[in-house]
Amino acid sequence: MVMLLESNAIPKTAKRKAGTLNRVLMIVLMTACAIWLVVPFTMAVLWSMVDPQTGWEYPDLLPPSLTLLRWAEVWTTTALPQALANSYMLAPTVAVITLILASPTAYCFARFDFPGKGLAQILTLLPLVVPGFVLAIFFSSLIFSLGIYSRFLSILMAHCVLFLPYAIRVMTVAFGQVRQDLIDAARDLGASPLAVFRAAYMPALLPGVLASLIIVFIQSIEEFAIAFIVGAPDFTTIPSILYSYLGYNFIRPNAAVVSLILVVPNVLLMLGLERLLKSANPAQSGVKG
Amino acid sequence: MTLRRGLLILALLTPGLGVILLMIGSVFYVAVMQSVGFYNLTGEDSFSLEHWRKVLDSKQFGRALSYSAYIAVVASIGSVAIAYPIAIWLRRPFRGSLVISALLKAPLFVPGLVASFLFLNVIAYHGIVNQLLMWIGITNAPIRLQNDRGAWGVVFLQLWKNMPFALLLLTGAVQSISDEVLDAARDLGAGGFDRFRKVIAPLTVQAMQASLIIIFIGAAGDFAFQVTAGPTNVQSMAQYMVFLKDSFGRWNQAAAVGLSLMVLALFGSLMLAFTARILSKSGKW
Amino acid sequence: MTALRSTDVSKVFEDGFTALSDINLSVEPGEFVTLLGPSGCGKTTLLKIFAGFYAPTTGRIELNGNDVTNAPPEKRDTAMCFQSYALFPHLSVAENIEFGPKQNRIDRTSRTGRVNELLRQVDLEQHRDKLPNKLSGGQQQRVALARALAIRPSVVLFDEPLSNLDAKLREQVRREIRGLQREFGFTAIYVTHDQAEALAMSDRVVVMRGGRVDQIGAPEEVYERPETAFVADFIGSANLLPFRRVDDHSVETALGRLTVADQPDSSARFLCWRPEDAEFGVTQGENLITANLSERAYQGSYTELHIPLPDAPDQRLHLPGVAAGIGDRITFRLSPERIRFVRGELE
Repeated sequence: MVMLLESNAIPKTAKRKAGTLNRVLMIVLMTACAIWLVVPFTMAVLWSMVDPQTGWEYPDLLPPSLTLLRWAEVWTTTALPQALANSYMLAPTVAVITLILASPTAYCFARFDFPGKGLAQILTLLPLVVPGFVLAIFFSSLIFSLGIYSRFLSILMAHCVLFLPYAIRVMTVAFGQVRQDLIDAARDLGASPLAVFRAAYMPALLPGVLASLIIVFIQSIEEFAIAFIVGAPDFTTIPSILYSYLGYNFIRPNAAVVSLILVVPNVLLMLGLERLLKSANPAQSGVKG
Repeated sequence: MTLRRGLLILALLTPGLGVILLMIGSVFYVAVMQSVGFYNLTGEDSFSLEHWRKVLDSKQFGRALSYSAYIAVVASIGSVAIAYPIAIWLRRPFRGSLVISALLKAPLFVPGLVASFLFLNVIAYHGIVNQLLMWIGITNAPIRLQNDRGAWGVVFLQLWKNMPFALLLLTGAVQSISDEVLDAARDLGAGGFDRFRKVIAPLTVQAMQASLIIIFIGAAGDFAFQVTAGPTNVQSMAQYMVFLKDSFGRWNQAAAVGLSLMVLALFGSLMLAFTARILSKSGKW
Repeated sequence: MTALRSTDVSKVFEDGFTALSDINLSVEPGEFVTLLGPSGCGKTTLLKIFAGFYAPTTGRIELNGNDVTNAPPEKRDTAMCFQSYALFPHLSVAENIEFGPKQNRIDRTSRTGRVNELLRQVDLEQHRDKLPNKLSGGQQQRVALARALAIRPSVVLFDEPLSNLDAKLREQVRREIRGLQREFGFTAIYVTHDQAEALAMSDRVVVMRGGRVDQIGAPEEVYERPETAFVADFIGSANLLPFRRVDDHSVETALGRLTVADQPDSSARFLCWRPEDAEFGVTQGENLITANLSERAYQGSYTELHIPLPDAPDQRLHLPGVAAGIGDRITFRLSPERIRFVRGELE
């Protein structure tokens, strides 16, 4: 076959042309990705490890010495621990409450047909249509006039509403994947309602539940507008702390540290979610679709 | 549709849809009321259209409005225009296509503020871009790239953040077109761009519209990118709104600006989606 | 001038799989040629090479005398009817048909005339504004054909167009396709794995296996005078027996000594006779065979009976009606003229 390809008698085939074009595009895009992703992240990591003693000044291409001291310093001297605690207390609570609020509606969408259903489904997307800062500003006016002073509670409420569309969507799909024939089979074999739930509903719901929890969790951790407007200055979250380092006092190393703290767990969670969704699928495809 | 079933459905919808409607409805109500003088957090409540007049007359408002509209249009059309060819290129798998696809979608994992930081870092006065430019010999001294007046920084950040999202939506849509339909178009004489105009665009209109709408709304209401990387001589609508609230507590005017921003976001995105649909259906680009 | 010619065409894919080797085929204008073979034999690959979706690894493709080996589909004077019809889901029937002429910049009046004419010919006038998903399979097939014909191609390529239709409809659409081909006079290359279709529709049949052509000929030729064991067995059924040459007119087989009319040449591997050639109710003459029956399958118009042989596959007979049963002893005659010799292996 190799000899065939090298022979002069062969015209350059269309498939070969497509192959080289693909390869060229790949190289171009890989380079672009390097600039797009790798370089900025490397810079961030480097900056987070700059030795407070020596600093990193031009014209050095790389910081003269790397140390984890910066991380320790940020941890002990700034409000980061508090922000971390706040964020990581808020997010799971939001995730769970949102899931509980979303499930009945999702169940309804997945298993019932009724007039106005299409409209109802579109209306659940409302929180996505309002720009984040507008929501934040007016929401803060609202709670102020209602006399709610707990910032944690306020942000919690706002986050739940803001992320309900995601949870509803994910859970609607999950409920939709519950197979009626499995429910029928379980009942036919005499299972109690609880057993029916465990046998027929749970396998389809479990990936959806986990997906919903993870997605809402990540959204809550990253959410900036409401945390900033409603929370400031008492209740800080990781994004609002990061913002304070990006403002007029651009403290690069601190910003780098907080950025990494914000991104790395999220990436790990998202990868975990992807793996989870992939492994869940085989369980769902029955013998006959 | 029995009464019992109807009640059951309503009960099921309440914790989810009901909460959404309640919250958004209240917020909207407060917005409207505030803009006409009520819910005055720093002064007397009284009905007045004065706040609207002040806002609409203000030059700053006009500039903020056109600026936000500009950013929103460029971000949405730009993201979709860049994402389409890539989605079509990645339509059928080839060696390395999964890797490229994952790399291009990576920015979806990066929150906006982090993106701002990474960007600022890279274009900083002593950052790598400047160092590269000097090393190549294009410039002799570092140039100030931050907060440029042309808003290129903001545009770049918007594209960086939104193009992967458009790519996500468009990839699914483009992959759902069967190979044979595209082959048939080729067979009947349609070259690359013709196939896009006449087959791919009309069949992926919904994903295109969804991308345009969501990106437009997000970009119109941007605060973070503008404050960290944007030009200092003009404000975005969101920035202006926060500014009004923070300085002298002009909540009522801030409310008017906020409502205007909602109108811009909704109206602009729907206009864009409508135009896209018209162009796609007619096949005349 | 031939309408379509492939010379020494082969196709090897990127993963090393050889789909086609040594394809030499010449098709006259107005001919209806069928590429017939089991799945994986390369017939669809060859069709796609004719259309331009694949380029051959070696060899040349000529269309009406022009070398089109490297021309892409959009620049060839061919049109394809796809197995899945591939109608544009967002366009109506009339718009689908209009697509090609519009692409070729035909002016509006001529275009409309052409579309109306075709709609009439495929009897879909009252469906002209419907979307494809509102049509039945047979109707979609007709739209696909009209769409291909709208660009007035010299060659129309059919990729198993009837495989998604049910049996009754298949027959009807088959006749429609052949009818339209005769009326318009275009050259047709038709791919199918259904040998009944191939025999009924074609001027010539190209039997393919494993990326190679086993035999090319008119349907009668390919059925009555198969050249290889594969062709004999693929079209209709065949009984294949190893043999030993005794003299010029007789051979020794597991069925006994048989008188033959044809002489086996050096490449002949099997003796071949068809189940329906067995003659019954004959008590005299050459090639009288008596044997016990082992299996029986009633098929309506005939009953299939099996004669077991040591060291050879069961020989099959087709008896009209119900006749004999298992364990019965049966006598039949094989006319020497109906015995053929074929080369090649079955597997």
